[in-house]
Amino acid sequence: MSARTRDILIALALAGLLALVPLFIGTRYIITQMTLFFIWAMVVSQWNLVLGVAGIFSLAQMALFAVGAYATAMLGYYFGIPILLAMPVAGFVTVVVSALIGLACLRLRGPYVALLTLAIAQVIYLVVVNDTECFTNPPSGCMPLFGGVRGFSRFGDLGFRGLLGSKWYIGHYYVGLFLAVLAVVFSIAIIRGPLGLAFQALRDNPGYATSRGISRFKYQLWVFSLSAFFTGLAGAFYAAQFGVVGPIVFSIAMLLFLLSMIVVGGMGTVWGPLLGAAILMLADEGMREFGDWRDIGLGLILALFVILLPRGLMGLMTASHSGLNRQPPKASK
Amino acid sequence: MDVLVQILSSGLTLGAMYAVSTIGLALVYGSLNMLNMSHGALLALGGYVCLYAMTALGLPAVLAVPVAMAVCGITGLLIYHLAARPMLASRNFETQIFIATIGLGAVLENVIMRTFGPQPVAQPLNLQGAIVIGSVHIPNQNILIFAVSVLMMVMVALLLNNTRMGRAIRATAQNRDAAQLMGIRIGRVYAQVLAISGALAAVSGIMISSLSGLLPNMGGDPMLKAFIICVVAGLGNVYGAAGVALAMGLLEAVIQYVFGVQYSFAILLLIVIAVLIWRPAGLFGRAQVVRL
Amino acid sequence: MAHALTLENVASGYGQHLVIRDVSLSIPEGVLAALIGPNGHGKTTLLRTVSGLVPCRAGSISLHGERIDRMRPDEIVAAGIVHVPQGDLLFPEMTVLENLRMGAYLPGAAALERQRLEEVFTLLPKLKERRGQTASTLSGGERRMVGIGRGLMAGGRLLMLDEPSLGLAPIVIDQIYAVIGALRASGRTILIVEENATRIAELADHLYLLDNGRFAWSGTGAELMSRPEILSTYLGG
Repeated sequence: MSARTRDILIALALAGLLALVPLFIGTRYIITQMTLFFIWAMVVSQWNLVLGVAGIFSLAQMALFAVGAYATAMLGYYFGIPILLAMPVAGFVTVVVSALIGLACLRLRGPYVALLTLAIAQVIYLVVVNDTECFTNPPSGCMPLFGGVRGFSRFGDLGFRGLLGSKWYIGHYYVGLFLAVLAVVFSIAIIRGPLGLAFQALRDNPGYATSRGISRFKYQLWVFSLSAFFTGLAGAFYAAQFGVVGPIVFSIAMLLFLLSMIVVGGMGTVWGPLLGAAILMLADEGMREFGDWRDIGLGLILALFVILLPRGLMGLMTASHSGLNRQPPKASK
Repeated sequence: MDVLVQILSSGLTLGAMYAVSTIGLALVYGSLNMLNMSHGALLALGGYVCLYAMTALGLPAVLAVPVAMAVCGITGLLIYHLAARPMLASRNFETQIFIATIGLGAVLENVIMRTFGPQPVAQPLNLQGAIVIGSVHIPNQNILIFAVSVLMMVMVALLLNNTRMGRAIRATAQNRDAAQLMGIRIGRVYAQVLAISGALAAVSGIMISSLSGLLPNMGGDPMLKAFIICVVAGLGNVYGAAGVALAMGLLEAVIQYVFGVQYSFAILLLIVIAVLIWRPAGLFGRAQVVRL
Repeated sequence: MAHALTLENVASGYGQHLVIRDVSLSIPEGVLAALIGPNGHGKTTLLRTVSGLVPCRAGSISLHGERIDRMRPDEIVAAGIVHVPQGDLLFPEMTVLENLRMGAYLPGAAALERQRLEEVFTLLPKLKERRGQTASTLSGGERRMVGIGRGLMAGGRLLMLDEPSLGLAPIVIDQIYAVIGALRASGRTILIVEENATRIAELADHLYLLDNGRFAWSGTGAELMSRPEILSTYLGG
């Protein structure tokens, strides 16, 4: 059995198990938290493709997530488009935005990419919160084009309230599970497929790979753009799940939280980021009582893992590892 | 005429202020290829230590500033010894130190917030009064900022060119292996550079907060601007960074005048992206660059 | 006879990959020893191991009886090893004079800087002309001279030269060899890495043939010349 088939089967088996959860656990809080886990699983599985597999040091992933969320909210709010239809459209909008960012950044060297993507994310944030001109004037007050500091609410939902009544959140749980499985299977297909191999070749022997016609820029642009679809879709589903989209999705704390998931789990691995997402959400739950200390704890976790365990938890478990942190012997000279 | 004086006055102030924190970042990147993402938190730390020294300890400004420089310099040293040094040998040092310093920056920022509170505070080190040229008021504080920035830049240039430590820093930045073969202990150079960068961040943070007030997360935008300046100048290029910082300050003043404050950063960034598409290794390229 | 440099069963390399395995040699004081052998078989790595740029994995390295294999590169320089690396590794944005002065960075050498500078300028008069020029604007031969001159500024007890004639025009190679001859005549202990075995065989007291990380042969220049099979097997003629 190839590694790809194995990983996809594992993903489907896990999905099957998770599909049974609402039958046994009725607590709304747990179901909602697990739905949130699906959202973060989508984001980190795609960010991991960009960061760990393609080696693009992008910090624009949360901005792309925000693009998906805002696009959904705005399509619903301004045009009354049903959310279920707005979500995939938002995914495509995110792909376009991502491709534009990629065209501007990906020809540059690693650290330049990190700084530029961070700056682009910050600019998108500033445009959203600094725009105070009223675009429309609903009864609730002035509404800037991008929602300003308040953001959007009342842009419609997925319609489960009509279908399931007070149990609507279980409908969201299954939608989230479905989307997360799609995203994870996509990430497996990339890591274990031709694109993953191409990046492996570029890491192991850049000269040879380039001479065989493997263009880093082209492949990076592909991964950067394609992974944006699920990142945007995650944002779109986030909008549907919470019914509110505001500038908080741009916050450094959120970026830190998600980046930590990838680093703790193991960058570049199939399962590391998902493991990291689960662990950090549980840890976050544990730290809830110490509210103020949360960000200090997160910062420490991030720094300590990079310094002491750069290959993450998956690096502890597996010897064969195809990620950013692989250390093949240098060619002798 | 008045408009020109106004733009020159605020542009040079901004640019000089940026230059001080940018030089530190460029020195650190030039020496050990480290993008220090906790620099923003160091800016805030410098501002708050100055506030604490002046209000709680009752120190005069001439003492409060060196105290802030010392605290931030020591913090820089700690960052080197606790985060950078253990990873120096790693093949992915650049990525790892970037992520680690994001984490450390968040820790530092939140420690500041817990200690001093999340609400904005005014920086007590602030000159009153202004000089009037034509009908334009140039605040004395702006003149002080410009003078201090120039002083800092001159001191850094003297340090780099005329001291043994400066020669070691330049040699390390230009060729790490060769520097070691000259008997330079590059670990010590790295530590020195981070300490210098921290001290410069303190000065920069005090200046920034004297204009826009103190907030625990005040360092974020200035850090991003400083990094962008480094990128435009070509990472690690110290003199280029100082020049680009001044140009960027003037440009920002022009943009603010023409388009308004709220979009200045966005437009600045678009210009930067255009520059990078035109010259991917920064304005001065890497080969023909006159670095340290 | 006192031994300047002694290597016993040294192994080193990059990552998990060993480039040098079980190398032992000992160079008496005042001798010119040469490492020869095909490209990519560890000659440069051996020098980098001695100067501490590549960590020594096994065995021991001593300079005049003092163990140096666990020292940092700067401590090894202070102990008296001068390594003129392959490809010059000049400080590109410094002038020739600044580069030379960097060679005398350590306090002991700094005290003698003026005197050594005169010696270097006497040996390499071209550098005196070029003293104000930025290193990155020099020609290949001039760069090589600066590299050697910078090494001499440190003084040191053992001079290691890595392929000083690599990639230079024949007339410039002759100049470099004249300098090496002068250094040898002054009684310095020298370890030189050289691709051109026949040329260095004329000058060297002792030669070591490094093949695939091990010594395959060692002897004097005259012995090498009497063994054509070694020349043809390892050195392409």
